[in-house]
Amino acid sequence: MIAETWALTVRELKKWVRTPALVFIGIFQPIIWIALFGSAFNPSNLVPSSFGAVQPPPEQLNQIRQSILTQTFGGAPTYITYLTGGMLGVLLLFTSAFSGGSLVWDRRFGFLNKLLASPIPRSAIFFSRVLASVIKGLSQSVLVFFIAILVPNGLRLSPEFSMIDFIAVFFTLFLVAIGFSSLFTAMAVRVKKWETLIAVVNLLNLPLLFASSALLPISSMPDWLQGVAKVNPISVGADVSRTLIVYGSLSPPQTADVLFGMTYLLAFAALTTFIGVITSRLALKAE
Amino acid sequence: MSKIIEAEDLTKIYAGNLTAVDHVSFSVDEGTLFGFLGPNGAGKTTTIKMLTTLASITSGKASVAYHDCAKEPNEVRKSIGIVPQDLAVDDDLTGIENVMLAAKLYRVPESIARKRAEELINLVDLKDASKRLVATYSGGMRKRLELIVGLIHQPRIFFLDEPTLGLDIQTRAVIWDYIKRLNKEHNLTIFMTTHYLEEADSLCDSVAIIDHGKIRISGSPSELKEKVGGDVLEIDVTNGASLTEFFRSIQGVKEVKQTGSKYRIKIPRAEEALPTIFEGISAKGLKIREVSLNKPTLDEVFLEVTGRSLRDEPSGAEDSFQRMITSRRRL
Repeated sequence: MIAETWALTVRELKKWVRTPALVFIGIFQPIIWIALFGSAFNPSNLVPSSFGAVQPPPEQLNQIRQSILTQTFGGAPTYITYLTGGMLGVLLLFTSAFSGGSLVWDRRFGFLNKLLASPIPRSAIFFSRVLASVIKGLSQSVLVFFIAILVPNGLRLSPEFSMIDFIAVFFTLFLVAIGFSSLFTAMAVRVKKWETLIAVVNLLNLPLLFASSALLPISSMPDWLQGVAKVNPISVGADVSRTLIVYGSLSPPQTADVLFGMTYLLAFAALTTFIGVITSRLALKAE
Repeated sequence: MSKIIEAEDLTKIYAGNLTAVDHVSFSVDEGTLFGFLGPNGAGKTTTIKMLTTLASITSGKASVAYHDCAKEPNEVRKSIGIVPQDLAVDDDLTGIENVMLAAKLYRVPESIARKRAEELINLVDLKDASKRLVATYSGGMRKRLELIVGLIHQPRIFFLDEPTLGLDIQTRAVIWDYIKRLNKEHNLTIFMTTHYLEEADSLCDSVAIIDHGKIRISGSPSELKEKVGGDVLEIDVTNGASLTEFFRSIQGVKEVKQTGSKYRIKIPRAEEALPTIFEGISAKGLKIREVSLNKPTLDEVFLEVTGRSLRDEPSGAEDSFQRMITSRRRL
């Protein structure tokens, strides 16, 4: 099982690195989001410098602006710091979205039949796509994490941010990646046409992005949307990694929140993996 | 010889009550080359899918390499190698990577796989190209690679679905040569489908023709040709008494037609009857002006049992997509 899964994972990864355009775009896209969107949309700039006749002194104005970030945006020193925590999860969502894409081609070209006629466990076909997608997504997100630090007025790590926090951030992202890769691979296993997959991905990706705390805090959303955003794994992943990035060493309630978030994501990953294994067993059985 | 493939009343009914294969029975002896022929949609692919565990069996039984296809699919999978009609190798990997990937999937230990891969690559003359991406291969090279990818785990049975479709004549000849060698030198049982009947004729030990989900006729190519009526002998003699009765009296003759001084005789294994015929004619004091002997081909057998020729088959949309893929081999 493990040997076969790994052999097929290596195949996926080889195909990926041999198409440098894919690797490049995968890294470039979140950088654009962070550098362009993060720089252009700075919520603290939304505060006007005068309110009718009242003109607050500049120090007060700066204080108001800074407190928007600290109070509404989870204590992030810059908006890009806030955004990075969310965008890393979104990057994984986007990478995961096509985790099963190669399955659709393999089915179309007949390679899948060759795999099915070999004595490999059917779930190895499923797990290899998930694993390859997780490796692709995480390696890109590590790169994006460091590039975000280099962006002017960009990612500012807490002075207390340690190696353990770094590992915790990427473990959280790992769970997000497993969860979404399993979900999308489970869908792709049944899909016969590439176009269908693109349509499904487009349908899901943007709602998952906008109904999350990746770009804006949940508290700014209407009540009905808050309910959706709170259970969205993208939000949970974003909140956990953001808390770690902004604070470094956590207070006991923050630790509890982070652990709860991780447990939630672990459950999400376990559920989608289960769904994926069942779906692929059904979809890959003899016709 | 033991029967390494056995199908008994094998039936496949797809959803919507479409009977693709209808109570098909046949067997293949170990070490032989078996040809499975039939028009598109006749049930060839479905039969192969059932034998290779890709399709479930609605009713009946099939055993491959002495394992029941329905009950022990994994044992069957371990014993067979497959070269499907569509692309079976990955374009984005090199030749050797494709072979080694197959080795891993079949759990061939790395060191053994390396050695075997080298031998197989040499066997099909791909040594120089083995480190290149398959995307750069010609159609013939790709097909040769597909053959050895299916052999790395030393299967007992090799399933080939249209192995030479879309290849030019020289490349086809080369591929056939490899298939023949594998069959003879490695005692590999080969189950194949083909559109090229002359190839099935010259290579297969036995063939079966399937149409509308049923096997119409099976046996060795020469047996089938005999069943259809045998050879056609045409003899032109100097004028004299009619020879029709004489020809009819010869053992095995099925039909005699006279047009002037020309006789057209249908007889199986005409070459064996020729001495008797020649002696008889000279005994009657007549002389032979011209003799021609025509052996029937499998094409004629096919036409006779299916009512159509294998050429100019209509094809569906999915079929033309497959053909498009297949034609990539030629680029």
